[in-house]
Amino acid sequence: MIGLVDVNNCFVSCERVFNRSLVGRPVAVLSNNDGCCVARSNEFKALGIAMGTPYFQLKNREKSGELVFCSSNYELYGDMSRRLISILREEALDVEQYSIDEAFICPPIPADKVRGNREEGREEIAAWLLDYGKRLRAKILRWIGLPCGIGFAPTKTLAKIADHIAKKRPEGVFVLPDDPTDILASLPADEVWGVGRRLVVKLRAEQIFTAKDLRDAPDDVIRSVGGVVLLRTALELRGVPSNEDKDYDADPDSVSCSRSFGEPVTTLDGLAESLASFTAQAATKLRKHSLLAAGCNVYAQIFHSGGGGDFLGRTVMFPTPTDATNEMLKAIREEVDALFIPGTRYRKTGVVFFGLEKVGTARQLDLFSPVEKSEASPLYKAIDSLNKRYGKGKVFSAAEGLGERSWKMKRTKLSKRPTTRWDELMTVR
Amino acid sequence: MSSKAKISRSVVAGFPSPAEQYQEPPLDLNELLVKRPAATFFVRVQGDSMIGEGIHDGDLLVVDRSLRPASGDVIIACVDGDFTVKTYRRDKDGVRLEPANPDFPVIQIKPGHQLDYFGKVTACIHRFVGK
Repeated sequence: MIGLVDVNNCFVSCERVFNRSLVGRPVAVLSNNDGCCVARSNEFKALGIAMGTPYFQLKNREKSGELVFCSSNYELYGDMSRRLISILREEALDVEQYSIDEAFICPPIPADKVRGNREEGREEIAAWLLDYGKRLRAKILRWIGLPCGIGFAPTKTLAKIADHIAKKRPEGVFVLPDDPTDILASLPADEVWGVGRRLVVKLRAEQIFTAKDLRDAPDDVIRSVGGVVLLRTALELRGVPSNEDKDYDADPDSVSCSRSFGEPVTTLDGLAESLASFTAQAATKLRKHSLLAAGCNVYAQIFHSGGGGDFLGRTVMFPTPTDATNEMLKAIREEVDALFIPGTRYRKTGVVFFGLEKVGTARQLDLFSPVEKSEASPLYKAIDSLNKRYGKGKVFSAAEGLGERSWKMKRTKLSKRPTTRWDELMTVR
Repeated sequence: MSSKAKISRSVVAGFPSPAEQYQEPPLDLNELLVKRPAATFFVRVQGDSMIGEGIHDGDLLVVDRSLRPASGDVIIACVDGDFTVKTYRRDKDGVRLEPANPDFPVIQIKPGHQLDYFGKVTACIHRFVGK
């Protein structure tokens, strides 16, 4: 079984931990350069204001006191995300961070529950998972103040669906039933993880409207509509784990890259090189999807012979949202030292990008934000095509910067960064 | 000649330092003060409402959110939108937050209202230099 833990309205929830006056009010967090709404509280959603609504259209309602806005405080969200992962690490057998506010977990189902395949045994596991999920959820809420939904299912794609249902339940936890046909029949096919809107027309032509239709369609039909990627999704809907690809290449919502080392890494150079290489790989994916990232979390896991091990992590903000590998490497390089403890053996490193936006889109929403610097893009387009043609990593960055940026990301409504800056701590009277 | 070889830096062989087997990592304040990093937050004190507990204006408090409050604990809670550090009391008279300074009022939590608890104060760092 796989669990998906997903923080509810993550950015807004992070703001509310340290600013209680935001509780119960319609709050939205704005994208890079205060462009548009990228996270909304339930109260904000209830007003019918869509994700992506430009901020300038809502300024009057902010002045009147109806709505509250915050700039993206990625330093805070990144730190809270690291705390979440470290709690999950304590409570689960394995954790795979999927995005800044989501992670797949492998729940530690007790061995005596797994034995046998009796009907009774499966019910016992479901009951155990529900209880485990509730305890985990309560712990996360108490320790870091973030509410989350937790869904359990046999595959990642089904866990996503279970999590979606979990969020609508008061207990915040849902275990997908053995036969989820009814649930799949009420879910539009394009809302299944990894399917996407662009396939809707093709799917309809094949009479595939719901997740159930997709699950039950013949393999050759599925393949003709969406290739092997869609077939994998269909297999997952059938309960067959088929998404072991850790880079989630088909999904632009999450851009990350991580690997466990064959042999534990013990040197600063080894650590730095692995992170640089993963950053370059993830950046290639950003460019493939025409995305810019505002920053990233870099992490390293310490090797323990018994498996698992503590995570060390840093949040890195890029001077401005970017898709340029060399600018990322320059920003990341300064943080790698903080992850390195001499004499420590490392099991795994990784990078997770956040603050993703389509190239050009967020900027156009705000006439007064500085013009996007564009010279990096053709360069990397060329590098990507060379790498595609001659093999991954043939052309790479020497980790040199292009020089200082002349401007920084605009964040006029930035809250304090109480977990990463000594001079911005929360004050108590 | 042989005694010279023993003290040469380039020669790794020879007798190990007698101190080697006693080598330990240096003392780390994080290890002492932060038992659960994921649940621990630092906050800055403003004002003298807890001066009687040795908590001064400008001090740094270590706060552990994972700990549940017991009567008599120094805690961080939110009252009317502002975070406050006070002693938590819970008895037959209800729940209240007590300052450690007679100039400040006791905050009574109204019956039926839930205390907006943030975390328990586990340490106070009072600096004499470099505030």
